[in-house]
Amino acid sequence: MVWTRPIGRIGRIFSLSYLSMTPLLILSPLILLAALGAVWKARPVHAALLLALSLALIAVLYLTIGADFIGLVQFMVYVGAVAVLIVFSLLITRPGDEAEELARRPRSVVTGLVCTLPVLWVLVHVVSRLGNLPAGAVENPVFSVAHVGQVLFTRYAPAVLVVGVLLTAVMIGAALFAREPGKKPQCPSDS
Amino acid sequence: MSLLDRLQQAAPALWSPEWLPRLPQRLVEILLQYFGAPGWLVTLAGFLVAAATVVAVFLSGFALLSLVERKTLARIQNRIGPNRAGWFGILQPVADGIKMLTKEDIVPAKAEWFLHLAAPILIVVPSILALGVIPYGREWVPVPLELGLLFFFAAGTLTELSVFMAGWASGSKFPMLGAMRAISQMVSYELPLMISALGVIMVTGSLSLPAIVAKQAGFHLGFIPAWNLFTPWGLSAGLIFYVASIAEANRCPFDLPEGESEIVAGHMTEYSGFKYALFFMGEYLGLFAISGLGITLFLGGWQAPLPGLGCVPSWLWFFAKMVVVIMSYLWIRGTFPRVRIDQLMRFAWLCLIPMALLTLPAAAIWHYVGGGLLGWLTTVPLLLIPWVILTVLYNRRMAPATRTYTFAES
Repeated sequence: MVWTRPIGRIGRIFSLSYLSMTPLLILSPLILLAALGAVWKARPVHAALLLALSLALIAVLYLTIGADFIGLVQFMVYVGAVAVLIVFSLLITRPGDEAEELARRPRSVVTGLVCTLPVLWVLVHVVSRLGNLPAGAVENPVFSVAHVGQVLFTRYAPAVLVVGVLLTAVMIGAALFAREPGKKPQCPSDS
Repeated sequence: MSLLDRLQQAAPALWSPEWLPRLPQRLVEILLQYFGAPGWLVTLAGFLVAAATVVAVFLSGFALLSLVERKTLARIQNRIGPNRAGWFGILQPVADGIKMLTKEDIVPAKAEWFLHLAAPILIVVPSILALGVIPYGREWVPVPLELGLLFFFAAGTLTELSVFMAGWASGSKFPMLGAMRAISQMVSYELPLMISALGVIMVTGSLSLPAIVAKQAGFHLGFIPAWNLFTPWGLSAGLIFYVASIAEANRCPFDLPEGESEIVAGHMTEYSGFKYALFFMGEYLGLFAISGLGITLFLGGWQAPLPGLGCVPSWLWFFAKMVVVIMSYLWIRGTFPRVRIDQLMRFAWLCLIPMALLTLPAAAIWHYVGGGLLGWLTTVPLLLIPWVILTVLYNRRMAPATRTYTFAES
């Protein structure tokens, strides 16, 4: 029976055509606004939550173009892990002075522009050199998780290994830094 | 074709008990098709009705559970429990609902009103999203996604941020403490939860929840169901998943984030009225979702427990299993005292996560050996020896020392 066949992609629920520009046109201003808010807000918690919002909206963008795996992983990693990490580190650090932060605003804006404009220039340059993609090549975006996994662990296996080693080293380093030197970890009930 | 003809055509499948939960969805779709609605509208309306069915079923389940939980706990603690509203206290959920709705909605002066408002809403959303992808029956999968399991976990991560928002936006100390506890607990217990689900994905070779259930069909030796729980790695992973799911659902004995006797109500302290009810709704819907996922992964989903019981609609089996799992949660709540925060973290990082990691090679061996006697002979020692060693070590070195009371002992 055709009707009970698995739907598969999330975008299909809304019967989206994956080549439509509408989701991009709706979502990109929202993403930009959230990102700008994340930079502009003086309160770090607001900035962190707006950053999480913009990352979540990027995940929605992925879902609307049929890239479910990337979208869900983006949501899990960036909203579920990175944003929570930022928020948690905000909780255990001392809050800064908001008035001082606002007084420094003009200087920060200039520094930010100096840093970001070259990046923007490089991006525009690269995208403009891509030219038009051949017509029909992206008509049916078929890729499965199995395919992603196969490519990841065969063709890109060295890169995955390098990233794994790097993350393990970072984790061990963080654990070493967090530990107080010369103190054996113990549980309070033993004493 | 007239409406009657269309109904007649779909009838044999439509009116069978197996299709009962999908009846509203199918009827709406047939009606819309009859009136010549475009394809996308038919699909969208069908999904809306399917979502409404799930929400209606689990909201009534929430009302029922709130009564059953109080009654069961009362029974365990040798009390009577609610018995004033209606016969056997059956109208108690209605009374609770009226009370919650008519209460004053208080927003503290120091609270950030927008985040304070958004938090209880955002806590209900991920639970409902997660409930949408679970296969409840052979024909009843509200949203059959290819990546259902990933979607479930991705939706669940939103809970942490909303708990933080609730704690921070309340602008007071107890909610903040509760939010900190909740985030550290959820982050720690999400790891064993996801890792124990990985073994199932490896053996099934799919992230689709209906496929995972289909893989567990059939019986060993004619009467033992071929559920993942009845394999060595599945038993190990299932136990870890069970413990971690209690912690993820913030239930006793892992209910530190809202420990009533320590920090009032944790992140919900500054909430009242309907917003407070929303927190409870999110918590109970999350409980349904996580136990539903556990049933799908390890207890064979909607598969019947014995051969020859296929005549019973499959979704009834699913809900029967859910009742058993949730009653076990209640039993645990009535039995164990709350753990301390350091015990909680130590248990996750020193016991659950290493053992969850060990189920992965066991599942891989099981997959390549193809189960059977050889599978049992290789994976049982691989899992049993570390379990025994860890238990002995844990009991000897990590268990809390016997408490001595200076004044209380005569």
